[in-house]
Amino acid sequence: MDWVLLALIAIPIGAVLVFMLIPSRYPQLVRNVALVSGFAMFALSVLVFVKYEFEGGSGFRFDLQLAWLENVAFLGKDGISLHLAVDGISAPMVLLTGIVIFAGVFISWNIDYRNKDYFVLLFLLVSGVFGVFLSLDLFFLFFFYEVAVLPMYLLIAVWGTSSHFGTFTRPKEYAAMKLVLYLVGGSALIFVGIFATFMEAGQGTFDLPVLGAVTYDENFQKVVFPLYALGFGILAGLWPFHTWSPDGHVAAPTAVSMLHAGVLMKLGAFGILRVAITLFPEGAQFWAPVLMTLGVTGALYGAISAMAQRDLKYMVGYSSVSHMGFVLMGLATLTTIGVNGAVLQMFAHGVMTALMFAMVGAVYDQAHVRDMTMFGGLAQKTPRLAAFFAIAGLSSLGLPGLAGFVAEFHIFVGAFNTYPWAGALGILAAAITATYILRMLAMVFFGPFNERWAGLKEMRRGEQFGGALLIAFIIFMGVWPAPFIDRISESVEFILRVGASGP
Amino acid sequence: MVGMGEAWLIPAIPAAAFVILLLVGKYLPRRGDWLAIGAMAAAFVLFFAVLIDLLGEVGKPDFVGVTSSIEWVRFDLPSGLEFELRLGFFVDQLAVVMLAVVTFVTLMVMVYSTGYMKDDPRYGWYFAAISMFAAAMLALVLADNFLLLYAAWEGVGFGSYLLIGFWHEKRSAAEAAKKAFITTRIGDVGLLIGIILLWREAGTFDISEIFEFAEAGGYSTAYLTTAVLFLFAGAVGKSAQFPLHVWLPDAMEGPTPVSALIHAATMVVAGVYLVARLMPLFVVADPIALNIITAVGLTTVMMSATMGLVATDLKRVIAYSTINSLGLMMVALGSLSVSAAMLYLFAHGFFKALLFLAAGSVIHATDRQELSDLGGLARRMPVTAAVFAVGALSMAGIVPLAGFWAKDEILNVVGDSQNFVVYGFLMLSVFITALYMTRVVILTFLGEPGDREAHQHAHDAEPVMTLPLLLLAGLTVLAGFVVFDGVGEALGFPGGIGEFVFLEGPEAFHFPWDVAVLSTLSAVAGLVGGFYFWSGEAEPARRAGELFRPAYKILKRKFYMDDIYQWTIDRVVLAAGGVLAWFDRNVVNDTGVDGSAGLGVLAGYGMKFLETGKLPNYALAIVTGVIVLAIVFMAVRV
Repeated sequence: MDWVLLALIAIPIGAVLVFMLIPSRYPQLVRNVALVSGFAMFALSVLVFVKYEFEGGSGFRFDLQLAWLENVAFLGKDGISLHLAVDGISAPMVLLTGIVIFAGVFISWNIDYRNKDYFVLLFLLVSGVFGVFLSLDLFFLFFFYEVAVLPMYLLIAVWGTSSHFGTFTRPKEYAAMKLVLYLVGGSALIFVGIFATFMEAGQGTFDLPVLGAVTYDENFQKVVFPLYALGFGILAGLWPFHTWSPDGHVAAPTAVSMLHAGVLMKLGAFGILRVAITLFPEGAQFWAPVLMTLGVTGALYGAISAMAQRDLKYMVGYSSVSHMGFVLMGLATLTTIGVNGAVLQMFAHGVMTALMFAMVGAVYDQAHVRDMTMFGGLAQKTPRLAAFFAIAGLSSLGLPGLAGFVAEFHIFVGAFNTYPWAGALGILAAAITATYILRMLAMVFFGPFNERWAGLKEMRRGEQFGGALLIAFIIFMGVWPAPFIDRISESVEFILRVGASGP
Repeated sequence: MVGMGEAWLIPAIPAAAFVILLLVGKYLPRRGDWLAIGAMAAAFVLFFAVLIDLLGEVGKPDFVGVTSSIEWVRFDLPSGLEFELRLGFFVDQLAVVMLAVVTFVTLMVMVYSTGYMKDDPRYGWYFAAISMFAAAMLALVLADNFLLLYAAWEGVGFGSYLLIGFWHEKRSAAEAAKKAFITTRIGDVGLLIGIILLWREAGTFDISEIFEFAEAGGYSTAYLTTAVLFLFAGAVGKSAQFPLHVWLPDAMEGPTPVSALIHAATMVVAGVYLVARLMPLFVVADPIALNIITAVGLTTVMMSATMGLVATDLKRVIAYSTINSLGLMMVALGSLSVSAAMLYLFAHGFFKALLFLAAGSVIHATDRQELSDLGGLARRMPVTAAVFAVGALSMAGIVPLAGFWAKDEILNVVGDSQNFVVYGFLMLSVFITALYMTRVVILTFLGEPGDREAHQHAHDAEPVMTLPLLLLAGLTVLAGFVVFDGVGEALGFPGGIGEFVFLEGPEAFHFPWDVAVLSTLSAVAGLVGGFYFWSGEAEPARRAGELFRPAYKILKRKFYMDDIYQWTIDRVVLAAGGVLAWFDRNVVNDTGVDGSAGLGVLAGYGMKFLETGKLPNYALAIVTGVIVLAIVFMAVRV
């Protein structure tokens, strides 16, 4: 089974090479290759998730270490190696990535403009995402992180759409540039953090388990933790460094928004957990109140801002800021329940926001507007689209039986245990979520039918399949979260226990 | 033998019906209505199995109920404890009373709906949604832990959203559904906070374990009081108590059978049930909590009763009467009497379903629901008129109908607790209730028709709709007699139903004559007054309206509550959202983000003038730099 993790990274890269060999006059062949490799990634990620079992210790499984550089220059015995392994936290993340890219291929089916180049970039991005989730070597983690971020620039700037309504305009090039500059700024902080860690540890290696065994000086932890937390936090939509996110999501083409809000933002939160909290427990303790405050602020701020949006995609974009605020709240509790909730929310938000972007895309592709006040009564014309959208919305507002509730419940319980005020404000944010979601549903799908949209058709078959796939996981996790929680909690507990036993 | 251990089947069967209808409903004959009705009938039969099993057990000493549960989520906590969420079902006498009401009323509503909704294009979806709604309510009734209770509670809210908004093509229905969901969700914020507060100290979500923990003094009084008041907020939302009652009158935008279901069995009584179920916590908490419940309940009673006097829509009047009844139940709970509240809930379930379904027949026959369009229908629809009158008299509290016994029980307990202000207001509310119920009967069924054309075609509904009406009317006549211990014993309940449901002595029902006489006098005065004001040309009512014009206007505008909320939403909530969104774009983004980018550009622009390309300038810079560095080094050395 060791090959499986390498295969997860290799498949998208292999697909990229195949795409490059296909002459661009065969767009259908490109789609078919994308479909096959998308399915392969989905199947393998399911396999990883199903086969993963916690077996004591750190809980890393399918460990694979390929030496790359060692005993040269400043590097010691372990040096830099492609060290891949999966634990209970990354297993659901891998599954999430597999689901969203598979669904994303269906959603991207109708892209005609240079679809070969589009899929090259999309799959390159996905290989980076898998790499971050699976890497246990800081050097490669950072490398994959950049691979995941940079294709966004071209994907948005070439295939994206600009926003114009009223006096407000956001060219897609602006959104692309802001997004990438922001994330690269975050990377710079992470880069400094990585080198500081490397020097301080003095082990001559970037291998995370080795670095994790080192006990760092308390002051050093306090200084380095915010470098990572802020650097990764920017990608996780940390307030007030979130503005790249709504603009970026709105400008991006549908499948890219799905992948970006659904998976890429999780890389940030994952990085905080995998690197910052794991290596620097005392730093985490010290900064937790700040992280919690920013998380709660983001949750409320995103929800209230979402309430004022008229553009469907901006609403979803701000709701992502709000939901990622919940993730940061969960992480900031530094308790098993709360951090479990954060990881659950990463998965839950991933599938439901991907579904929402897919549905917005399905509306926009036909209507070419996203202003919700211009719709009305679409449920009569496109009942299935309305139902899919409603399920995503209901999960997002935390209806029990759907994924969002399971996650939010853990986060609120965890938050109440550590910072009751934050828990109460978080629950309030969830109530505001209900307001904007129901308001949007009522405006767009209910009420008298707006005859302007008489030509509107139900979703394409591919969109229905992609949506149904996401819904299946939303319901699965909502009804039976045990497979997720069993995997997550053991690893979370390991991380927190190691932290607690430090000096 | 199926017994209490299998009680989980009662919500599970309608839930399964929901899933089947959702997936393959449109391929089934009659689009699966028989499946939904069959599932609910099965649940009703199972209720009897559970009841018989319970009757066998209840005499045993130390019987507290039967639990059956499965693990849902569990993981260890570093403190050595476990974080455990279970799906657990708990049966005791309280739950069984609710099961009776919910399964029977839902069954009646479903049968009635096969006629009422016959021509609806979304007929199959209607039955799926009702199954889901009922399943959620039944799960709520049987939940043995707060997590399942909350999940079911939200499920009920979601079911109401689907059903109130069933005709979502109508803007008003879509708005009403949204309003109901959001308003009750505001209460649910409190409920969830309360649940987590209780868990935080006790470390469990199990309701009976939390009771034990509270009774052992595990919570400080102030903490527990705070927690139970948060829980009560949930009940205020769901049970349409002041100030969150505004959603219920609008909720009649749904199909009328749905209104019957929401008002009688599946939604609004959930809040009453919640408080009744958690009464042990309220007992331990500071008495202020109970006083708040009484105050909220009484405010609700008085506001809804007076608004019922001026409402002009048939269903809206009945909706106000529901709020009125729910307030009464809360007052009973505030006086620590679970039995009085549950008796009223039980009786109310039948006569309120009856009133709504009869009103549904009227609307079905005339396609009108404004009272001014109705009138004189007794001649055209005698059966409907008769059963509606039975329901109205029961609501008004006329002996010997169910409403009389139940309402008297509440008056008794309030009288016993020596709270004469509350007692006086309740007597007044009895009078007002009789007044507006008489009014709605007169304006609908007596006098001259307002809209002759609609009147022409009106006739009693088909048998499938009339049968549930007759059954409910029968129960409205008979259900009240359960207060007599002899009746209970004859039915097989040891020691009478009061004794059965609530083992402690003082909780058993009792019947003092003075209260009965006084309340009957109030009710009869209301009846007579109703005839005086509204019969014939309703001249006295018009004059009274003019005489008390300001009060009339306040009532017409529903105490301005809707206006206040609307204003708050438009001017505060949405405005705040707008301000924040503006702030995000113009301050955070355009100033913060673009501004710092602009600074970078500006700095670059400024710096470029240093690049003169002239060697002497560079040399000067190098020399200056060396000198400065040298000075710094020397300064540091010293």
